[in-house]
Amino acid sequence: MGFGDLKSAAGLRVLNDFLADKSYIEGYVPSQADIAVFEAIAAPPPADLYHALRWYNHIKSYEKQKASLPGVKKALAKYGPADVEDTTDAATDSKNDDDIDLFGSDDEEESEEAKKLREERLAQYESKKSKKPAVVAKSSILLDVKPWDDETDMAKLEECVRSIQADGLVWGSSKLVPVGYGIKKLQIQCVVEDDKVGTDMLEERITAFEDYVQSMDVAAFNKI
Amino acid sequence: GPEELAQLEKLLGVPKGNKYGVQGERKVPVLQTNNGPGLTGLMTIAAHLVKQAKKDQLLGSTAEEKAVVQQWLEYRVTRVDGGSSKEDTRIILKDLNVHLEDKVYLAGNIFTLADILMYYGLHHVMVELTVQEKEKYLNVSRWFNHIQHYPGVRQHLSNVVFIRNRLYTNAH
Repeated sequence: MGFGDLKSAAGLRVLNDFLADKSYIEGYVPSQADIAVFEAIAAPPPADLYHALRWYNHIKSYEKQKASLPGVKKALAKYGPADVEDTTDAATDSKNDDDIDLFGSDDEEESEEAKKLREERLAQYESKKSKKPAVVAKSSILLDVKPWDDETDMAKLEECVRSIQADGLVWGSSKLVPVGYGIKKLQIQCVVEDDKVGTDMLEERITAFEDYVQSMDVAAFNKI
Repeated sequence: GPEELAQLEKLLGVPKGNKYGVQGERKVPVLQTNNGPGLTGLMTIAAHLVKQAKKDQLLGSTAEEKAVVQQWLEYRVTRVDGGSSKEDTRIILKDLNVHLEDKVYLAGNIFTLADILMYYGLHHVMVELTVQEKEKYLNVSRWFNHIQHYPGVRQHLSNVVFIRNRLYTNAH
């Protein structure tokens, strides 16, 4: 997760896109997640990134209460869209490197130092991890997607299902299977990486197309 | 009408005891008071309930916020409840989408009675929107999804689903 480099225009665009349909970075109330991202941004986003600007001005209005907002500030890599990485370097305002007092009397100072330390440790762990070849656990899942009735546009239904994108999800072949009364269900194959995609998530996203989808079931599930 | 006011009472935490009736063909709600003819009109009664619950900040703090809150309360009664054609609805959603482009709540940065009553008033519209329409009125969808998650607001109303990945628009 992350927004790319939040100090760059590209990173701000990722943030803008992310916030188009959300009021906050996480959940439905302002939290330390918003403060963490707010502090990583140098200045108000430009007017054309109006979702990011809306969010920025809103969070700025909480400036006086920021210490009492719920949650815990985490590394930037913990927030944002799943398929983007955080590349903002020294996300915190660069405190003097001489000042490595982890137990500073100022609360804010302490959390920023601790955050920097955590990010360094995270980077170390990631580079260590990337050196080992990882064996990725995958499964092949066959899904039954049922429409409301025989008048449902099955081509559109399939389009909706295939539009679901996620890291670790690959759609395979599909066919229409008659189930009676002129109704056909869509049987579609997919291959998923077990630690990234689960059937709960697939069900949630497929049944979200309430105009077309009545229900979804797992017809078959095999480890590969 | 009275059902919406009962919901509002519950959300605000107003002590029980208020009695409601309706008046006339258009079924305007009336709050019966001990002496006199009673308070008439959804907005009037709603504002009164906010004061009864001692949550005056829901009507706005600054003069500007108060005016904006009143503007949307009036909009709710005259435009949302008044007009009901497809074209009326389309205009309302367009107006709202523009207004919400740079605001989290209708009055800007604070949650107010305007958000509550516009949410209740628009619920039946949002429930019927297609995936494509929800994306078209992206700011309205964002605002509606936020308000329906606000503690105490939704109560027994159905949760309107907004899917996370956008199919029809790229960026923006």
